[in-house]
Amino acid sequence: MLRFIVLAQLLITVFYLGKFGLAVVFFTAMFLFLMYIWITRHSLPKDYSRLKWEEMPWLYEGIARMASKAGIGMPYVYILDDYIPNAYSFGSSIVLSLGLFEVLDEEQILGVAAHEIGHIKNGDTVIFPLVAYGRYLMLFLSSIITVFVHTTMAALISFGLCILYEIERVKFLKRREFKADETALYLLDRPFSLKEALEELKYYEDLRINVRASALPGIEPNIERKQKRSLMDTHPTYDERIWKILAEIEGRAFRDTLK
Amino acid sequence: MEPHEFKLNEEGLKAVLPPLEAEIMEYMWKVKIATAGEVYEYMKQKHPDMRRSTVSILMNRLCERGLLERSVETGRGGMRYVYSITTTREEFEKKIVETILNALMSNFKEATFAYLSKIKK
Repeated sequence: MLRFIVLAQLLITVFYLGKFGLAVVFFTAMFLFLMYIWITRHSLPKDYSRLKWEEMPWLYEGIARMASKAGIGMPYVYILDDYIPNAYSFGSSIVLSLGLFEVLDEEQILGVAAHEIGHIKNGDTVIFPLVAYGRYLMLFLSSIITVFVHTTMAALISFGLCILYEIERVKFLKRREFKADETALYLLDRPFSLKEALEELKYYEDLRINVRASALPGIEPNIERKQKRSLMDTHPTYDERIWKILAEIEGRAFRDTLK
Repeated sequence: MEPHEFKLNEEGLKAVLPPLEAEIMEYMWKVKIATAGEVYEYMKQKHPDMRRSTVSILMNRLCERGLLERSVETGRGGMRYVYSITTTREEFEKKIVETILNALMSNFKEATFAYLSKIKK
């Protein structure tokens, strides 16, 4: 859907602005593409260090095993000096923060790594930056149309496409998160470890917000705290992910009993 | 670390620190340097329901208060955070007394002075 929205925006630009529109589209796309290449090659700040096998054999081997099962090469694994538990992936690399190692056990960390391997296997590490740059392309073309095309209809359609792109982008990114979880469940020896990791991370987040909000913290986390959700959140909540993981595991178990 | 509040109905460190942070500091002053995992193992004996996240958050809060400092250690178990004390217990207690007395002297100078003289006698 996203590619059709971008295509529609490109066609409108070319339709209303002719050769000038074509040139704008070409140079904007080239500029964003070069930025994408430059940023993906320079996206490692100083606080990272590349994991070596001898440092944490259990993690290195666990990731190698899952990568092989996923049919991808061994990803580069980086450890980030940050006490907040966090993990993400880019290109064919996985980043795990040191904070993760304080709050999760080994199996749960492998669960988080499996989710990131899921992103790499599903091509998200390539698609996500493209989707992000797509926003800039949409907005820029919409501005060009508004300035150079003196037709209200063209400006409205172009702006409408920008809004549609945002809505679809949010839905798309959420779907990909669920898909990475599904892939992770297939890769893990013990699929429940991902669910447990998410529960612990949810607990951490709730507790941290509570501690920060309170001058004299009681440490009982309010698990039932109503989460402030925005319509434009690109990540599903921990609860949504945990629920889907449970449904997936139960579904698989049920299918196995039918065989 | 400057204590900002003093709870009259609490004993010892708990008068200036939340209870669990006070317990962690008691342990840290004993061992001087420890990982969050080691502190977790210690705290779990007293609080069986305690989770790793709780200890990690409280230790980082103690870093923010300036009582602990965090550094990265690379060893055989890979990279990990180790926490160490920034002040001894004696220095910390001295600081509390100084801060409280300074506050009393600037707000209730005569009464404080009179009381201290009475104690001295």
